Amino acid sequence: MSAEADIREEGGVSFGREAWGRIWASRAARACLAVLAVFCLAALAGELANAWYAWKDVPAPWQAQNLAARHMPPCAAHWLGTDGLGRDVGLRLVQGARIAFQVGVVSSLIAIPLGVLLGCLGGYFGGKTDDFVIWLSTTFAAIPGLLFVLAIAMVVGKGLLGVFLAIGLTTWVGTCRLIRAETLRQKERGYVRAARALGFSHGRILFRHILPNVVHVALVSFTLRFPAAIGTEVFLSFLGIGAQGQPSWGTMIASARLRLWQGMWWELAAVTAAIFAVVLAFNLLGDALRDALDPRLRAAPD
Amino acid sequence: MGRFVARRLLQALPTVAGVVLVTFVLFNVVGGSPAALVLGQNAGARALEEFDAARGYDKPLFCGHWTKTRALEPVDFAAAAPGARAAWGAGASGPLRLEAGQELVLPFSFPLPENETWRLTVVGAGPGFPQRGKQFSTTWKKVFRGAEKPVFRAEGGPVDVRRVELEKATRHFFDSQLVDYVGRVLRLDFGTSTSLNQPVGSLLKAGIGPSLALTTPILVVELAVSLALALLCAYRRGSWLDRGLVAVCVALMSVNYLVWIVFGQYVLAYRLGWFPIWGFESWRNLLLPVLIGVVTGLGTNVRFYRTILLEEMHKDYVRTAFAKGLRTEQVLFKHVLKNALGPVIVNVALALPYLYTGSLLLESFFGIPGLGYLSLNAIHSSDVEVVRAIVLVGALLFTAANVLADVALAWVDPRVKLA
Repeated sequence: MSAEADIREEGGVSFGREAWGRIWASRAARACLAVLAVFCLAALAGELANAWYAWKDVPAPWQAQNLAARHMPPCAAHWLGTDGLGRDVGLRLVQGARIAFQVGVVSSLIAIPLGVLLGCLGGYFGGKTDDFVIWLSTTFAAIPGLLFVLAIAMVVGKGLLGVFLAIGLTTWVGTCRLIRAETLRQKERGYVRAARALGFSHGRILFRHILPNVVHVALVSFTLRFPAAIGTEVFLSFLGIGAQGQPSWGTMIASARLRLWQGMWWELAAVTAAIFAVVLAFNLLGDALRDALDPRLRAAPD
Repeated sequence: MGRFVARRLLQALPTVAGVVLVTFVLFNVVGGSPAALVLGQNAGARALEEFDAARGYDKPLFCGHWTKTRALEPVDFAAAAPGARAAWGAGASGPLRLEAGQELVLPFSFPLPENETWRLTVVGAGPGFPQRGKQFSTTWKKVFRGAEKPVFRAEGGPVDVRRVELEKATRHFFDSQLVDYVGRVLRLDFGTSTSLNQPVGSLLKAGIGPSLALTTPILVVELAVSLALALLCAYRRGSWLDRGLVAVCVALMSVNYLVWIVFGQYVLAYRLGWFPIWGFESWRNLLLPVLIGVVTGLGTNVRFYRTILLEEMHKDYVRTAFAKGLRTEQVLFKHVLKNALGPVIVNVALALPYLYTGSLLLESFFGIPGLGYLSLNAIHSSDVEVVRAIVLVGALLFTAANVLADVALAWVDPRVKLA
């Protein structure tokens, strides 16, 4: 702690702060952050509303059917129109954001700790440990992704739990490889040798010294896998093995797809726009983060 | 080169073993027998048992002399449900009480097949518990053939029965699901589909043609188009064309796959009538799915190839070539493209297994009877055998493609050491 404070006094800027400055300087990245803030707020509002109606034990307005107000195009009462059962598309979209957010976060909570732990252990200890980590990641990487996801979801059963596990257990491989490579690189650095010369335990070196220096890799991989997780959730829910009985973007596409043939475009348009905005923001922000956090990329022109 | 290929194949063996193990853990250990799913909730214990026996699900997972059976549900009276207690004639709570001379009545779900060996275990206590020479025994075991009836009687005093379990003998210690499974994989025997009642091998054979008819054109067209666009980007690097194309690529990547299909089918096929909407009769049916397949993968591929080409552009030999006074086109097409071939070949080789798995959604939406269509139907009807076979073959092909990629790289690039 004190060492860090000393550096600050000399006028240095920490790595994280410098990277943040780089991201904030870009207008596109700020726009992405704004989109993601709206997405997070919508998910939070959806979560609160869902909890509120569950607590009051009354049917939520996005579930309440109103056959008198079916197929209404966007109007003052329903900004994004209504679907085939008279339910407000806007409210369902917010609930879909809630599910997408849940899937992105929970699957990351499974995949990233798994990937970081295995990657760190393999990279740091090498030898037999590393052989095992490589074997495990090669095996998981060899199984075709979407089929593997479907198979896990089928075995676990319909519902969000299957989606969380399927996405979490198939996507840790990428994080693991990146972390392992970065750990291998850090292991040879002077500070690790110094720590070893001081007689620190392996656990302390690995988790107190190396981990903070490789964690930016996990951050980048989080932003890049979030949109992929959303896409997979939409796919699974569309097939009917994801979200059950709750409006998700995938189930909305599944019903909007049938309505589209009757000329009702607004539900599909709303879902498409929502997914597009969120995924685009994540993709762009991920690129910006990678550029800002990876010092080796800064030196290279373009 | 031969030695190199042989060693790469040998190195792939642990991965193959891992894939077999992972699929086994997923489908057998976690998933378990699909009997209840396939036969429905009203199926009797006997039908379920026969289903399991036909597919080997009645065997122990890894190894063992005894395996569980549905002929008599194991019961622990401390935690048994009221229904199970009633079947055994037990009271509302506590262990099952047998008075002196009373016999334990076993509520079998079906008569035991005569040609099997069984073991009945009764755990309990009391003055009448059979001791068989041992003092204070609380466990009573009886091995018998199916024709005999095992008799457990409280002799000379009451007995409190706490737990009863019936197990079936396996043929030998390694007569297990894992050994079965590995043997079947080695023989390339994928079992029988539970929903279609056909050998999975012949289903795979029937599906591969339509899948290849769809995915091969997608791969070829996508490679050509994305390489051309990436070259264009590299050629005009930094111009509005380059930046515009990259922006379009990121946008293309962000539109959901489903939306492309729904939109394409509705607008291009239904509203505009440019393509047939559904079916698999002529090559015209494939035009729209191929177009959609190419568009959905374009963003990722163009960006990938552009990065590879631009990395090459910073190398010394490119600077030398420019210094010699060569034109940009010559440098780009003759020098850079040739040197960037390695990553391109690896990328293509790793895409090859996906030719086989087909495109799940495109095939279902457009009614192409390929392996993707088969997989989705199998998922919907919980057809474990089909899903397992497709996952397994896909993984094996992917491993093979990895070896192929390494070999191709070594062949194209003399700098790769064959050590």
